[in-house]
Amino acid sequence: MSSIGTGYDLSASQFSPDGRVFQVEYAQKAVENSGTVVAIRGKDGIVFGVEKLVLSKLYEKGSNKRIFHIDRHIGLAVAGLLADARQIAEIAREEAANYRSNYGGPIPCAVLADRVSMYMHAYTLYSFVRPFGCSVVISSYDEDGPHMHVIEPSGASHGYYGCAIGKGKQAAKTEIEKIKMKEMSMRELVNEVARIVYTVHDEVKDKAFELELSWVGKDTEGLHQFVPAEIQEEAEKLAKKSLEDSDSEEDM
Amino acid sequence: MSVGNSAGFDRHITIFSPEGRLYQVEYAFNACKQAGLTSVAVRGKDSAVVVIQKKVPDKLLDPSTVTNLFYITANIGCVMTGMSADSRYQVKRARSEAAFWKYRYGHEIPVDVLCRRIADISQVYTQSAGMRPLGCIMTLIGYDDKMGPMVFKTDPAGYFCGFRAVACGAKHLEGGNFLEKCFKKKKDYTFNETIELAIHCLSCILSADLRANELEVGIVTQENPKFRTLTEAEIDNHLASLAERD
Repeated sequence: MSSIGTGYDLSASQFSPDGRVFQVEYAQKAVENSGTVVAIRGKDGIVFGVEKLVLSKLYEKGSNKRIFHIDRHIGLAVAGLLADARQIAEIAREEAANYRSNYGGPIPCAVLADRVSMYMHAYTLYSFVRPFGCSVVISSYDEDGPHMHVIEPSGASHGYYGCAIGKGKQAAKTEIEKIKMKEMSMRELVNEVARIVYTVHDEVKDKAFELELSWVGKDTEGLHQFVPAEIQEEAEKLAKKSLEDSDSEEDM
Repeated sequence: MSVGNSAGFDRHITIFSPEGRLYQVEYAFNACKQAGLTSVAVRGKDSAVVVIQKKVPDKLLDPSTVTNLFYITANIGCVMTGMSADSRYQVKRARSEAAFWKYRYGHEIPVDVLCRRIADISQVYTQSAGMRPLGCIMTLIGYDDKMGPMVFKTDPAGYFCGFRAVACGAKHLEGGNFLEKCFKKKKDYTFNETIELAIHCLSCILSADLRANELEVGIVTQENPKFRTLTEAEIDNHLASLAERD
């Protein structure tokens, strides 16, 4: 049983002897190399937190955002190759616009997740294209409540209450499982998400990062927006403080 | 039987090996077992049932979005065993084919015709170089007013067949043996017996007492030919009467 491809990994149109498509698995590795995305679904909204690694001090603040708006009511956060992700965002926007034009209303999150996952899956079938090297999280809030779906490079998609993708996903998942998210409001979750992103950020390997926070829910009346500056500042302050507290506990 | 020199021949779908095998198609069958799930389908006297395990591997997953049972039309349902994304693609294609048939011919597509169509599409993937076969097995159930309940299965090779009972996935061999033994003793199963046989088969081959939230059951019957999935409460009832029998 070969676990490195050795010859079966040259295109997405080949199975390995144990029935795996290695190109898709390699695409998933590309996701694991990128900054962490943490997303939590509370009782009245969803908060995204993205650890955007800043590779050069010369970048303008706020450039190369990893959270996209799809229509007015859906947010899309990505982990992985940003160029591939921009393509997915464009497709998602087209699907949402077509839905609105055909059916006269905003596209439900589950429907958009289904369409985007079918699109990403199509790129895992042929030899002349490669799979997308990114995972996306889609969220929205409507009269049925908050919805969140994650789509992987294989095209598989599921609904989640909380998820983490990217570098620090294992550590972040452990933190998320401790939170009682189903009872928390989006305002409370902003602080939790910021705290988790700061906790999983590896100071040694990646120096600078920007935290992108966005939310959609009852407080924003169903519109997907970036978290207002004051709330974000407060959340980051609390996150840094809780990091210091836990550091000083370790020193003792 | 020689293991076969697979070097060089199994990379390309259009090339036969010296023994006349298509290795890529065989590897696609292995992909169907990757998810580790097994499904069982049984055709009774007046009903047809599909049962599959429900595994929710992550606590953070929303369990209502995890399913392997899909409806194709109101009267035809299926269980998909294998790679999740490939399954959804095949279901979408099946829905599209069924809808086109209704549009073109004015009546609902029969189960066997739909299965044949999906199988023919799967065969194309085994003969073209640029595409790979889909790593999933589709088991369709439906109630035909002339032929009665029907269970049809199609696999990555493009082969399809009608069954009295079939097991697919990781433990399909054990499942097949178990079902053969049961059908030797008794051929006609009522509605409740059909469901209980399917669930009993799954528990035996997995050597585990399955609970209602670890199972998904889809049924079609003579009284109600529409495909529907059982609720947890209904599954519990069947599990209880199964336990009483033992």
